[in-house]
Amino acid sequence: MTSQSTPATPAPIRVVLVDDHRMFRTGVRAELTEAMAGGGAVCEFVGEAPDVDSAIAVIRKETPDVVLLDVHLPGGSGNGGGDVIRGCVGVETATGTPVRFLALSVSDAAEDVIAVIRAGARGYVTKTINARDLVTAIRRVSDGDAVFSPRLAGFVLDAFGAAAGEIAEVDEELDRLSAREREVMRLIARGYQYKEVAKELFISVKTVETHVSSVLRKLQLSSRHELTAWAMGRRLV
Amino acid sequence: MRVAFVVLALSGGAGVAAYLFLWAMTPEGQVDGSGPLTATTWSERRRWSVLLAAGAVLVIAGIALLVPGVGVSARGSVLIPVFVIAVGAVVAWSNLDQTQRSRWLTGGRDGMGWVRVALGTVLAIVGILVLVTRGSSVSVLWDAVLAAFAVLAGALILAAPWAVRLWGDLRREQVAAARATERADIAAHLHDSVLQTLALIQRQSADPAAVTRLARAQERELRTWLYDGPQGSQSSLAAAVTEVAHEVEDLHGVPVDLVVTGDRPFEQHGAALSRAMREALLNAVRHGSPPVTAYVEIGPGGVEAFVRDRGAGFDIDTVPEDRLGVRQSVLGRMQRHGGSARIRQREDGTEVELRLPPIEGEES
Repeated sequence: MTSQSTPATPAPIRVVLVDDHRMFRTGVRAELTEAMAGGGAVCEFVGEAPDVDSAIAVIRKETPDVVLLDVHLPGGSGNGGGDVIRGCVGVETATGTPVRFLALSVSDAAEDVIAVIRAGARGYVTKTINARDLVTAIRRVSDGDAVFSPRLAGFVLDAFGAAAGEIAEVDEELDRLSAREREVMRLIARGYQYKEVAKELFISVKTVETHVSSVLRKLQLSSRHELTAWAMGRRLV
Repeated sequence: MRVAFVVLALSGGAGVAAYLFLWAMTPEGQVDGSGPLTATTWSERRRWSVLLAAGAVLVIAGIALLVPGVGVSARGSVLIPVFVIAVGAVVAWSNLDQTQRSRWLTGGRDGMGWVRVALGTVLAIVGILVLVTRGSSVSVLWDAVLAAFAVLAGALILAAPWAVRLWGDLRREQVAAARATERADIAAHLHDSVLQTLALIQRQSADPAAVTRLARAQERELRTWLYDGPQGSQSSLAAAVTEVAHEVEDLHGVPVDLVVTGDRPFEQHGAALSRAMREALLNAVRHGSPPVTAYVEIGPGGVEAFVRDRGAGFDIDTVPEDRLGVRQSVLGRMQRHGGSARIRQREDGTEVELRLPPIEGEES
């Protein structure tokens, strides 16, 4: 949990919350504020939006560090979260880093998850996540790392055929996972935190983050049939 | 229609057979569109038995007509064409059931259907010709052919718009009925599940544990219904372990985060694994603390299952009885089925690993 080597007093992470359920937005804000009460303000809510078009407007205006993004949203061209991400391409924060997206969804359907990831989200967590883990996830995404829930790791292992034993010969191969990436994904699917993964594999947390980011890149760029088929289902390709 | 058959029946008994045959072959119950599905499958079976009976009657009638030689020369010239017409009509009409009609309308073409209709039409025409031109010359026959074609073409032209409109109406009705049924299904399902659970939650709002359990169970049920389609638990290992995890969740109200990749048919070794996993999960929710996570990987190299909790862990020596139970039901069971089990005490919880070799003959 506290694996991040945070500087003394980091500027709070500016967060925009996009979800079409007002009750859920209120709930997340309250929970996060409560969770952060002890350890100082890690995040600061700078805006929220209930649909695709107002979300794009708010994000362009506020240029937050992280956008918590629901997968299913009204408006836009009907692709929910994916439309918001595509509508915000090139938007940068005051410090020059791109705005990053963390998908937050109740849906466990593979095509939904893969669709927002391929649209450019840096991670995916389910709405049942507890507040402490959510804060960690937000911090991780704002640092440019990827956030994988156990379920997303399971999808990845399935989609890349890694569970069936397909392993990349070279690490750069986009359509398969390397042996190490497979190991990392398997441990995440087993419910291990990054820190625990690092300990289990005798590598540093930074290396784990590198592997996860590399898997995220493959997930976004690979033309593997399973992935394109899922994306096709959501009219993404 | 029936009168015609009665008349036919008087003239040689063949009409009875023809009536039965036609009754059996003509698609039924499709006009009203709302007929229960079970009825059609039942009538399908009934139709076959009737067909057999009709065939038998036909054979007997044929023998009765031919063998004693009673009036074969006199009646054959009338009966045979009539038979040919009847058979042609039956073959053509029996195919014009509703599903095919709608398929034609939507543009799909069923080759066999067309062939049968064409065959039926040709048979009917030939039958009519033979009946009409009995004992006439070739030139008269030619005129009759033209006349028959003209009449058929005329009838077709007259009937076509009406028929097309009728088919269109039928299709619209069908779609509307399907929509209404689906809506009713959804409403019924929501009523039986979500609304009931919400009522329960309101009543038990003072008990957070009960509310969590109810909400979790309902969420899972709804999710299964939405994403997994209508099929229930089938005979696959993935379905079995999912069921086990849900059962444990329901029993103790502790959420279990289960991730499954791959799948394989459910057999006795898989059954042993899912039972051992149930024990491990029960142990985790009883002695550990949430979150309890489980991961099952089913691949060509075998099955691996991991159950993990975040409890402080518990000392093997302090609870020997319970551990012994776990050893028996988890370790012993896996070994009996050619697999293995390992219990790892970690500083922040316990992890149980279960392994099974691949199903014989499927090793890669």
